[in-house]
Order: sequence, then structure tokens, then C-alpha cells
Amino acid sequence: MSQSTGSASPRPASQKLMQLAVVGAAALVVAGGAAFYYASKNVKPAAAGDAITVTIKNGACDPNAITVAAGPSTFTIVNQSDRALEWEILDGVMVIEERENIAPGISQTLQAKLKPGDYEITCGLLNNPRGTLHVTPSAVSDAEAARPALRAYLGPLAEFQVFLVTQGNSLVKASQSLDAAIKAGDLEKAKAAYQSARVPYKQIEPMADQFADLHNAIDPVADYLEKREQDPAFTGFHRIEYGLYTQKSTAGLENYSTKLLADVTALKDRIRGLRISPEQIAKGAQRLMASTAETKVAAGVDHYAQTDLSDFEANVAGVSRMMALLKPVAVTAAPQVVGDIELRLTDVSTELKALRGPDGYPSYDGVNADTRKVLSQKMQALADAIGKLNAAVGLE
Amino acid sequence: MKLKLTLSASLFALSAAILPGVAVAEVSPLDLVQPIADYKIYVSENSEKLVADTKAFTDAVKAGDVEKAKSLFGATRMSYEAIEPIAELFSDLDGSIDSRADDHELAEKDPGFTGFHRIEYGLFAQNSTEGLGPVADQLMADVTELNKRITDLTLPPEKVVGGAAVLMEEVAATKISGEEDRYSHTDLWDFKANFDGSRKIFDLVRPLIEKDEAAFVTKVSANFDAVDTTLAKYKTADGYELYDKLSEDDRKVLAAAVNTLAEDLSTLRGKLGLN
Repeated sequence: MSQSTGSASPRPASQKLMQLAVVGAAALVVAGGAAFYYASKNVKPAAAGDAITVTIKNGACDPNAITVAAGPSTFTIVNQSDRALEWEILDGVMVIEERENIAPGISQTLQAKLKPGDYEITCGLLNNPRGTLHVTPSAVSDAEAARPALRAYLGPLAEFQVFLVTQGNSLVKASQSLDAAIKAGDLEKAKAAYQSARVPYKQIEPMADQFADLHNAIDPVADYLEKREQDPAFTGFHRIEYGLYTQKSTAGLENYSTKLLADVTALKDRIRGLRISPEQIAKGAQRLMASTAETKVAAGVDHYAQTDLSDFEANVAGVSRMMALLKPVAVTAAPQVVGDIELRLTDVSTELKALRGPDGYPSYDGVNADTRKVLSQKMQALADAIGKLNAAVGLE
Repeated sequence: MKLKLTLSASLFALSAAILPGVAVAEVSPLDLVQPIADYKIYVSENSEKLVADTKAFTDAVKAGDVEKAKSLFGATRMSYEAIEPIAELFSDLDGSIDSRADDHELAEKDPGFTGFHRIEYGLFAQNSTEGLGPVADQLMADVTELNKRITDLTLPPEKVVGGAAVLMEEVAATKISGEEDRYSHTDLWDFKANFDGSRKIFDLVRPLIEKDEAAFVTKVSANFDAVDTTLAKYKTADGYELYDKLSEDDRKVLAAAVNTLAEDLSTLRGKLGLN
């Protein structure tokens, strides 16, 4: 029996599909019949790894309500309807697994590794009523949820890479505009491009600041340089900001904008090749929020443009994205930590939003010490919450 | 063939077990981050193109320009077909964008029959855009929604890698037979898009297995090349010949290569530790 449906075979289902295709029709009828016989016996909830047979006829699934334990399950779909059909396991509108093009009279197998939860199964035509699939927790699924395997982070890490690449591209593009505007001597255009370039840079800062050489060339603050604004190491964003906003001119900035463009292009390329491990996401977000809370909020870094609040907003947007990516993996293992992070993120965002006027953020020199203190405390609380995440999901 | 594969696999396992110096190839999940990120970018580019192309296509339908709409049909579908392993994860949209008449109780007459193939039926079987306005509007809204959902989607890694085989199975089941585009006979356009989508996935993960699975990589590449060469014979200035121009000999060549590709590519997930 198990040989005819192949449920005990370790070979992938599609290989079996090919085998089925070359076997004669009579054998298929036998296989289908055998599977049907098995289905009639298989009435109690199956354990993980067991084969479940679902027969589709008269516009319905039989059985129509299935319960299995979490983990790998094998489904044998027997099509006793008169049309080719596809069989799907759905989580809301999302297809979890499917087998397409099951011809009438044919049975096919589908292997699914299911997480605990309630799913639907399709039963032939698109408007036929669906069946239910209830997946109960198992010891294995509980252990996996408590400490997600490295593989569980693969999707979020890839999505994080996409985010970094996308922001990196925006950064290069805006830096090109900045360079062009400076070389054309267009002060207003240069200011606008400067602000556009800042946003993606600040969003990817938790990863960008790991490249010390580029970070020191792209984003040094005059306060930390011996000769301050006159120091030869004063380059990058703030040097250009100094020219555009304090000296109110693009004159003499050409070399700086050429260099900035080269540096952010190098940054984009390096980030693309970065091999990020899961724990670096929370670590990077925590470190950035803590350093911002400890130093940047009090004194500010955009001394000439006074646009620090925009920087903070971009930082928080980046951190928010990082946390959103980790949430699906972390939420089962550490619901409280994830909940706390979301609460603190909302706190910081609300605080920033409250400072925004109809024309955007006010100049940072107009933000008083008390307000800065509150902002700093909320960022610190966010940093502390994020700091608990890795340990809570077993990444430390 | 299969016996040989199984045998060589066991020999390999055996030699790995008895020779402590021979490391068993293992792909770390972290090695897959880059290919999956690159694939997401590929999918996003295609879904953006789908939105732009569908706009031009549905505009022609709504303007009642049958000939223009017909000429855009094949090309418009390609970006959907190329990313089908991801696009079809959204069951509601897949149903309304790409279902066939057979998926509905009343077939072509069913009010639930919408999307590309409903418009195809109107344009090519009825030679008219009559009544297609609302269908065109819905298709446009659906592909716009699809693009948005794809942007927000964290791609399931096993669906990405498994997609290479899924696309070839799709070709084997619905393109080789001329089933999919039954009114327009533009199946070779879909075929080419499915093929490109499959090869893209294979090319992205290829560096991870090239060293340890050299024979597999060579075989798969050769079959991809065979399909590409055969398909290229039917390339026209603005797309592909109609399905009925496909010669019986070429159909056999394609069927054989596609079936082998589907079978071989179905082992990719296992080779990359994603089963």
C-alpha cells in the first residue's frame, strides 16, 4: 500500500509524478483504489509523518476536516472528480503547499512541513467549499518555536539584504544628484539632495557604521576632530552640510561631493557582500539606538542644518524595519520581548511625530533640553527592549 | 538512470563515511541569503513590469482596440509567468488573475472566470472587447495589489528554490500541451517566461553547488541550453510563433528536456538543505 502511493519513499514527490506518468493507466487506477481503501480506514487524527489520504469527488474533500500533528506530513490526493484539479493548503489567502494538475482518476502525493495552526484545504473548483486542516503542536514544533533554527532566519535575512540594497541604491542616487547640484552651483537643489541622501544613510546606519573607514569618511562630526571644521579629515555629509547651510554656498564643495559619491558607492557594494548573521540584526539596532540616546540626542550632530529630528526618524524607521523582519521568527519564542519592543517603538515614533509641525520638523536648536531628555529616555528604553531579544530567542 | 543516481549517491555517502578526510558538502543557511535576496529583487522587477505592461494592455482593451490588445497579450503575461512560484502563493489573486475556464463550474460562462484568460477568451475566441471593461479594471487592480503584496512578502526560501522545478512542471503540464493559452495559442511566450524564471533560480544557487555537484550542474545546464536553443527557433521580431507552428519533433525535444529538468530540479531543495 505505502509503495503504491509512495508515502514511505524519501524521493521527492515530483519524481514520483514522473514515475506515475510512465506507468500504465491500469496501475494508476489500482493505486487510486488502494489509496481510497486506505482513506476509508484512516479516520482518526494522524500523527506527524503519517500519510493522510484526501479524496475529492462531488465538489468536496473526504475527509473534509483533518487533524495532524505539527511537522512533516504526507498527503495523498485522489481525484475522483471529472476535471483536473489543484489541491492547496491555505493559510488565509496564502498557499502553504500545493499540487497542481491532478488529472481525473489520478492520485498524487504532497509533502508538507506544517506549523501548528488552523488551515484550509481546497476541494476542486475555485468556488467549491473548502475543508479544514487543524495542526496541533508537537514536542518538535514546541522546541523549534522556543529556539528557532538558523534556517528560520533565512527569509528575514534575505529580506534585510533587499532592504539594505534598496536603501543603498537610493543613497547612491541621491548622492549623484547632490554631486551634480554642487557642480552646477545650485544651492537649493543641493540642499534638497543632501536631505534626500541622509534618509537612506540613516536607515541603514546600524550596518553602515560597521565599516569604520567608510563611516569616518562619510559621517564624521567636526566636534571629534582636532581642528574641527578646518580639519582635513572633516569630509563627507557634515562637511557638505557646513558649506551648504553655514557658508550658504556650493563653492569649494566639489571635491567633497565627488568623494562622498565614491564612498557611498563603495559602502553599497560592501553591504551587498556582507554576510549578516541573525544576532547582528538586534545587536546593530540596539547599539544604534543606545548611542543615539546617550549622545546624539543631547548635543545633536547636524550643527549647520539642524535637521537632527529627520535623522532620528530615519534611524527609527530602519530599526522598525529590522524588528518587523525578526518578528515572525521571534514572536512565538519571545512574545513579551517582541511586544515590549513594539510598544517602545511606538513610544519613540509618537514622541517624534508630536514634534512635527505642518512644515515638517522644527530646527533642532529650537528643541529644548527637557524635550531632548524625554526623547533620549524613550530611545534608551527602546534600546533596552531590543537588547533582550537575542537571549530570548536563544541567539546568545 | 535513476538507479545510477541512487547508486552513486550511496557510494558517495559510503565514501564520506569511511574516509574521514572527505568532507560532506553542506550548504549553510547563511549561504542562501544572497541568492534569495537577489531573487526577491528579480521578482520585484518583474511585478513592477507586470503592472506597467498590464496598464497598456487593459487600456487597449478598454479603448476597444482588439488588435492592439491581442498584440500585447502574450508579452504582458510574461512577467507574471516568470515569477509564478511567488505570484501563485496568493491564492485569491492567482484565482482572479490567472484561472482557466476549467477552474469554474460554468466554464467560460462563469461570472467568477476573470483575469488574463477571460480577456483572452473575449479577444481571441470572440474577437471582441465587449463586456471586458470591468474585467480589465479588475485585472489592473489585482496586479497592482499583487505588486504591493510581493513588496511586503518575506519570500519562503523553500518556495524560491522549489520554484525552479515548479516552473518546469508547469511547462510540462500546461505549455507542452498548449492547454494554457487555448484561445490565443501564445503558449510559447509563457513557456519562455517559465523557462527564464526557472533558470534564474538555478543560476542564483548554482555557485553553492557547483563544486560538489558538478555533474548535476552540467546536466541541468545542458538541458536548459537544449530548451533555449529549440525555443529560439520560434522567436519572431516581437515575440514567439503561435503554438500550432511548433513541429512535432521540436515538441518532443522540448518535452523530454523539460521533463528531465523538472525531475532534476526537484532535487535542488534537498541539495541545499531546504527539505
